[in-house]
Amino acid sequence: METDPVAVAERPAPTSPDATASQVVIETRNLSKIYRDFWGRKKVQALNSLDIEIRQGEIFGLLGPNGSGKSTTIKLILGLLFPTSGRVLVFDKDASETSKNERVGYLPEESYLYKFLTAEETLDFYGRLFNMSAADRQRRVDELIKMVGLERARYRQLREFSKGMTRRVGLAQALINDPDLILLDEPTTGLDPIGTREMKDLILSLRDAGKTILLCSHQLADVQDVCDRVAILHQGELKELGRVEDLLKVQDVTEVHARGLSEQAKAEIADVIRRHGGQLQSMDNPTTTMEDLFLNIVRESEERPGHRRAAALPPDASGNPPASGNPPANPAALPPSAESPADRSSKSSGDAPS
Amino acid sequence: MTLQPEDFWSFSEWLLRPGAFLESALLQGVALLILAVLLGLVIGYIVSAVRYGPGEAFYAVAGVLRDLFTRDLPGTAPRRVYALARLAFKEAIRRRILFVIGLFAVGLLLAGWYLDPTSDDPARLYISFVLTATNYLILMLALFISCFSLPADIKSRTIYTIVTKPVRATEIVLGRIFGFTAVGTLLLVPMGLLSYLFVTRGLDHTHTVASIEELGDGRFVGETSYDRFHRHEFTIDAEGNGLAESERGHRHVVTKVGDEFIVGDPEGALRARVPQYGGLQFLNRQGLPDTQGIDVGYEHIRGGYGSGGLSRFIGRTIGPRRIEHGYIEGGTLCAAIFTFDEITPDKYPDGLPLEMKLRVFRTYKGDIVTGVRGTVTVRNPQNQAIESEPFPFVAQEYQVDETELPIEFDGTAGGESRTLNLFEDLVDENGHVEIVVRCSDPGQYLGLTQGDVYLRPRESTFGWNMTKAYFSIWLQMVMVIAFGVMFSTTLSGPVAMIATFVLVLLGFSAESVYDTRYYIDRGQTMGGGPIESLIRTFRQDAMTVELDIQSTPLKIIQGIDSVAVYTLDAVVTSLPNLPKMLGTAEYVASGFDVFGALLLRHTVTTLGYFILACFIGYFFLKTREIAA
Repeated sequence: METDPVAVAERPAPTSPDATASQVVIETRNLSKIYRDFWGRKKVQALNSLDIEIRQGEIFGLLGPNGSGKSTTIKLILGLLFPTSGRVLVFDKDASETSKNERVGYLPEESYLYKFLTAEETLDFYGRLFNMSAADRQRRVDELIKMVGLERARYRQLREFSKGMTRRVGLAQALINDPDLILLDEPTTGLDPIGTREMKDLILSLRDAGKTILLCSHQLADVQDVCDRVAILHQGELKELGRVEDLLKVQDVTEVHARGLSEQAKAEIADVIRRHGGQLQSMDNPTTTMEDLFLNIVRESEERPGHRRAAALPPDASGNPPASGNPPANPAALPPSAESPADRSSKSSGDAPS
Repeated sequence: MTLQPEDFWSFSEWLLRPGAFLESALLQGVALLILAVLLGLVIGYIVSAVRYGPGEAFYAVAGVLRDLFTRDLPGTAPRRVYALARLAFKEAIRRRILFVIGLFAVGLLLAGWYLDPTSDDPARLYISFVLTATNYLILMLALFISCFSLPADIKSRTIYTIVTKPVRATEIVLGRIFGFTAVGTLLLVPMGLLSYLFVTRGLDHTHTVASIEELGDGRFVGETSYDRFHRHEFTIDAEGNGLAESERGHRHVVTKVGDEFIVGDPEGALRARVPQYGGLQFLNRQGLPDTQGIDVGYEHIRGGYGSGGLSRFIGRTIGPRRIEHGYIEGGTLCAAIFTFDEITPDKYPDGLPLEMKLRVFRTYKGDIVTGVRGTVTVRNPQNQAIESEPFPFVAQEYQVDETELPIEFDGTAGGESRTLNLFEDLVDENGHVEIVVRCSDPGQYLGLTQGDVYLRPRESTFGWNMTKAYFSIWLQMVMVIAFGVMFSTTLSGPVAMIATFVLVLLGFSAESVYDTRYYIDRGQTMGGGPIESLIRTFRQDAMTVELDIQSTPLKIIQGIDSVAVYTLDAVVTSLPNLPKMLGTAEYVASGFDVFGALLLRHTVTTLGYFILACFIGYFFLKTREIAA
């Protein structure tokens, strides 16, 4: 988990800094898909001449509003749909080849699992589909159940599961074969903020382990937090493609984060900026995101169960930085917040009533 | 049960039909396979030509074929098939399909009320009831479980998580079929056990002695009590052993122990005779060889076309092949000569157990109480001057006549009367012996077919015979499951079910289609094809009258009808002969051991259709856009 805000914005491409040199995992060439009705009449152009390359070790995000062709792209890559024209190559094999699936993991939009199986049976079943031996399956199922935190629900049928738990089983089944390429369709839908955070952490750790990840989402925050590169689709057309930080960075704005400065020091810094011809847009305690706030509240309440009296907190009690923080999405878009949310976010200082 | 000529075929005769290869099952199977492949290629090409254009379509079809042989068949892993089969099995079990067994048990209990206890042959009634009930129930279940699972998975998209694993289409199809077969087996086994108990317990009864009378020489005659709507008369010899008269297809042993008379359990109701059939040759009234007996105009049953195989389909053999009873007239030189081979002392140490199921045709009423009489003569096939004295018998209609011909008996050898030994005098060096059946009452006729006079070297057990009948049901179930899964790879659940059902229905009505075609071929007015018979229905015209329509419309109607009937003929010719498989129940009900050759034929046929269904299902699934 990234804790340094700067590191998130400027983290290098993890396994291979030079993305162009690394191996291409997914390649789409002039990929188009037209949905037709029974009589062969054209209903909708779901995807139009998509050309993308996804390289090994990157997290690639497909972004776009509903109906923009994200899911269609993923289904074409998986061979669940056949392209109307163009090709998809996965590990240099045609998408229609079953053998490519040996190295692929797929988490569908909703967890389409067999409700009459227990969590363990589900994973064991998918393990068998990879022709894994009994010992391998046993080991892998144990690992994955622990990883997604379902030890206590191991022998329960999926029909009794909450949505979040089903999602975890879905994720575990996608990873059963320790895949090199992982396709995640809307990975965070249906997850609570903790689940979302954990999912994102997991995606990052998978990437750090050398996996290639393709995810599609319409939740911008997800994509922005974890993706190395994104493609933005709209109405089946590729609108934008590039590295996240390049897309989000506002080149002519500098953001300064510091702690413990006196008013005098702040004035001096403002002075420095002015002296170098810069224009001070704002100098403020940085805002945090709603997500961080929620996470801190939950974390605190787990440490000290009971009613939380936020009003009793001294405004400047902040001693700790947010345990997990991300920079605001776009510095230029920061609201000059007068009533600093950071005060509230920093309640984890240990002053909470016991 | 009248055995048809094809029932006597051994497995290899059925498979290859030496001398009539056009009728062979192998040829039919190969032709069907080639036809399926050609049809598949053409349809596949047309469909992909519409999708991708004529040039691309060629590569698409070739690609699918290449995938099958280079990737999917070699890549098919037993572990994945097993996993998918287990899943299908679990799914059915967790949907509480096993309740059906309870339902079946309740059905049996209710049936006990309705099966007619005063029937002449309760065993036949009980056995054919349980077997037919199980058969239809299992086929219906097979239809339901096999057609809905795959479409449900596709609809709920759980299939996404399967096909994005390295799972081949072959494995999905095989897994389903195996899984559902396992479910069906799990249902069939308890059903079979329940049926067995129902039949054996249902027929079990005993009597007490109602009246007894001592004859002077230490023997007794008496009558049992009236139970289960019948009673037996019995005699007991001086040693105290007796046998009751056969009644309702069974008899009881009655023994005298001290002063007590004990009536034993029913015997002979549940049998599994293992017959040895012989060749049949008729002699006509003048004593000259004839292939058929006298036709008494009593029965002209059409049917049996199916055994003609492709030879019928292409019109090389025409006409029904159903066997008719040949009759022999009493008081003439008429005779039916059966030649049995492999007659050895090892096989028949105590003589020849001869059994006959004869029909009687009376030209006058005669003595209705004693019945029509006949004789059986044992003769040496090579030297016909050596023959036994005639053994007289009285034909028992609708029952099996059982006699045991002894090893030594009186006879004539070249005009000289002496005691003959069966194996030394009458069986020739090839192990053959002739048995000649004649009718002794002038003007009366005895009717028989090849299967009606046989030797019974041994007896199998009823339980084993039931097992074989259930195996035949099991085979039909596998076939229906395979077809159901095949259709469910491309159709939605209800449509797949209807398609499978229609297939089964057509298989059952194959003979009617052949019959219709037979009359069209012969130009005989017999109702005509679908449109013509519809018109007849509305006009209330009988089947055999000329249709009173102008000749041009009539020609058009009959033209369309012929196309329809010929097409239907082609379709049903390529479908499994389910009535034949259902027919094994008749063997068990009649107390005959189900022939091994017959079961082997059914097994091979099932295997053939199973493979065909797998391939078709594979191509359907492979060329289908799962997420569309």
